[in-house]
Amino acid sequence: MLSEMGSQLIDLCSALLLLTCFAIVAQRRLAACVDLFALQSAFLAGTAALVGFLTDNHHVYVTAAMTGVVKVIIIPVVLKKVIQRLNVKRELVMNVNVPVALLICGALVILAFFITRPIIPLGHVLTRDSLAIALAIILIGLFTMIARQKAVTQLVGFLVVENGLFLGATAATHGMPFVVELGVFFDVLVAALIAGIYTNRLQDAFDSVDTSHLTGLKE
Amino acid sequence: MLILFLLLFVGYVAGALLPLCFPAKPRTQSLLAHGCAGVASGAGIVLGLVGLFSPEPWTVSVQSTVPFLSLAVRLDTLSAFFAFTISLAGLAASIFAVDYVSELERKVSIGALGALFNGFLLSMTLVVLADDGFFFLIVWELMSVVSYLLVVTEHEKADVRYAGLFYFIMTHIGTAFVAVTFLFLYQTSGSFSFEAFRDPAHRLPEGIRTLAFLTALIGFGTKAGIVPLHVWLPYAHPAAPSHVSALMSGVMIKTAIYALVRMYFDFLDGQFPWWWGFVVLTVGAVSALLGVMYALMEHDLKSLLAYHSVENIGIILLGIGAAMIFQSYGLKELAALALLAGLYHTINHAMFKALLFLGAGSLLYATHTRNMEEYGGLLRRMPWTGAAFLVGAASIAALPPTNGFVSEWLVFQSLFLSFHVPDMFLKLMMPVAASILALTGMLALACFAKAFGISFLALPRSLHARRAEEVPFSMRMAMGLLAAICVGFGLGPVVVVPLLDRVVAPFIGVSIAENILAMDGWTLAPVSIEFSSLSTPAIALLLVAMGAVGMALATLIGGSVQARRYKTWGCGIALSPRMEYTATGFVQPIKRVFATIYRPTVKLETEFLEESRYFAKRRHFEFHVEPVFPKYLYDPVIVFFTTLADRVKVIQGGSLHLYLMYIFATLIVLLLFTV
Repeated sequence: MLSEMGSQLIDLCSALLLLTCFAIVAQRRLAACVDLFALQSAFLAGTAALVGFLTDNHHVYVTAAMTGVVKVIIIPVVLKKVIQRLNVKRELVMNVNVPVALLICGALVILAFFITRPIIPLGHVLTRDSLAIALAIILIGLFTMIARQKAVTQLVGFLVVENGLFLGATAATHGMPFVVELGVFFDVLVAALIAGIYTNRLQDAFDSVDTSHLTGLKE
Repeated sequence: MLILFLLLFVGYVAGALLPLCFPAKPRTQSLLAHGCAGVASGAGIVLGLVGLFSPEPWTVSVQSTVPFLSLAVRLDTLSAFFAFTISLAGLAASIFAVDYVSELERKVSIGALGALFNGFLLSMTLVVLADDGFFFLIVWELMSVVSYLLVVTEHEKADVRYAGLFYFIMTHIGTAFVAVTFLFLYQTSGSFSFEAFRDPAHRLPEGIRTLAFLTALIGFGTKAGIVPLHVWLPYAHPAAPSHVSALMSGVMIKTAIYALVRMYFDFLDGQFPWWWGFVVLTVGAVSALLGVMYALMEHDLKSLLAYHSVENIGIILLGIGAAMIFQSYGLKELAALALLAGLYHTINHAMFKALLFLGAGSLLYATHTRNMEEYGGLLRRMPWTGAAFLVGAASIAALPPTNGFVSEWLVFQSLFLSFHVPDMFLKLMMPVAASILALTGMLALACFAKAFGISFLALPRSLHARRAEEVPFSMRMAMGLLAAICVGFGLGPVVVVPLLDRVVAPFIGVSIAENILAMDGWTLAPVSIEFSSLSTPAIALLLVAMGAVGMALATLIGGSVQARRYKTWGCGIALSPRMEYTATGFVQPIKRVFATIYRPTVKLETEFLEESRYFAKRRHFEFHVEPVFPKYLYDPVIVFFTTLADRVKVIQGGSLHLYLMYIFATLIVLLLFTV
């Protein structure tokens, strides 16, 4: 009974994660994008804690807590500061407009479920639908990086990919070895900081955080 | 033997590391680096000699933690012979370098140069000692990379960088083929150890054997410089500092000869169809002829010598090819003779080519130019260098009684003996190869008449040549050592041949030293004393006697000798350097005769005086030989790849989104693929 309900709860949390993805794709305001990312990370932390509770893996609590600290608090704060300094509020030009982007994301979710269908019966009963959702989140994150032009939203896309990977890892293995997770957290934090600095430099060099300007670097 | 090997290894490693501990003291660095190299190569010489005389191969191996790799070293007579050759040339180059590098002091770090020099010698020695395919490839590659770094020593010059790049690409193409060859062997034997390669139980399947033969010929041939893979030699060898050129041209290309002999007579256990030998023979003949022909047209002394390396590799391959043909018909004695001739020429070429490159280095040291047209009259200013260079020139032109003559004579003998081969086609073709060798010898003689005459005789053609001074003692000593060896190997073939017989006998299976040495102890007679025989000491005595008789007759008939000092061929006119033969002028007749091969382009512009068209004010003469191989063989390949690269460049749009798109698309496609 408990595992039945646990499975349902985990599915719910994963679905919420996916939903925030769509919200990020649809959102033009940068600050809101960052907020949505923080919300997604909070759901992720919740999912991880739930998995830890249901499978009695105590170290997963620690990773859940770290997700909370790093992805819900530190990174969004850093990104908000970057946005404030740059004074870019909205993404005006997009490579793909919002309705089309949402349709494509829908297609990506179907694709993710289609791809994972053969391996889902092999997974743990508790978390088996999460794997498909995790793959969908990864694909949508990558797509966000392609669809958007501002460096900040691309960074958010990258972090969404990372969230997807984290969800997938937790779903498939009930928590990776603790050392690996620590390493991943550190990587993400550093990547976010570097990308923040890179965005500042981009602003200094081109008076814009539009990464299309980088095309000019080609010989 | 272990002690000698360790001494060699530690010596080179110390020579590579110690000079780096004394930055900004070039003299100390030079002494340390080349001193260590000298000690280590001395150990190498002794190791080689001990190896030649020891009845059983000596092995030592260290299992490493890297998979497939075992650091195995094996010293059989073939390895010992090549280690001896490398060390001997290495010793001379080390002695030479002590003072020579001061020329480069201002341009490059002597410490780094000395370190690389030691690394180069060590890697070459390990190449011939390695007893494991993987280990061999590593030291082979090390040798290539280190020699590349040495080639680009003077990297601030654009043409040196070009030479380096060209060499780098060519040598890696070669290494790729070598690696493929070893993978063929590995596939059958299941191990990279040479022991497994030569095990008759692991005989390669017939088709693979032929492929392995060809990949080995291309792979090692690139390093050896066979036509048409020779194009890098005339760029890379002159670009390096002269003592390094001496090693590259003298011994590095010989490691490829070692590898070919090891491959064909050891791993492929000396059993092959007749056409393999014929291919090697043809490659040898073409390389010998074209090498010397292009050498003739070179006026850069070091490029000229580099082309002569192509020629001499050709002569060595003539010997090896003939040995392979005899072997495939079971004519063991003849195979042993031909292989012995090839190996004899290998060590001889190493000695006289090193000597000539050191001579060229001395000229460069004294005049700061490599262009022969700016030399002239140097014999009077640099008598020691001139004498040593003359010995080297006589050797490479195969004049008796020098060493080059003996080994070329042996190659000739083995080619003439082709009438024992039952096949009619080969009976006809092998004398053709012999006649090509004869033509090559003639052209080499013309070439060195030019090289020595234009450089050392007559009057100085430039200020550089007028100001030249004799080089320091250590450089003269190195050249003197090599010159003595050249003459010694020429006068004492009866000592050298039995030693080489020890190298050849384990591979062919018969010992021929007894047959070759005639009864009197100082004559060589490969077949029988009636067919042909050679005694260089006798020739030397005869030459001296002829000179003495000539002098005596002159005194007898012409009366007492009156010395009158005057300019040669002066005829009463004041001579000036402008009246001299130039190097270009010297080779004009040969250029005309072989115009079909050279395809020369001549441009003559004359500016006349305004008053009369009978008086020229200025003449401008240009003359180029068409670079046939680069133009028709390499350029199309280069053009093909650059156009291909241009086409592919389209996908590199420079847009971040585009690149992300590629990753995304690849991911989706791969995911769909797995479903």
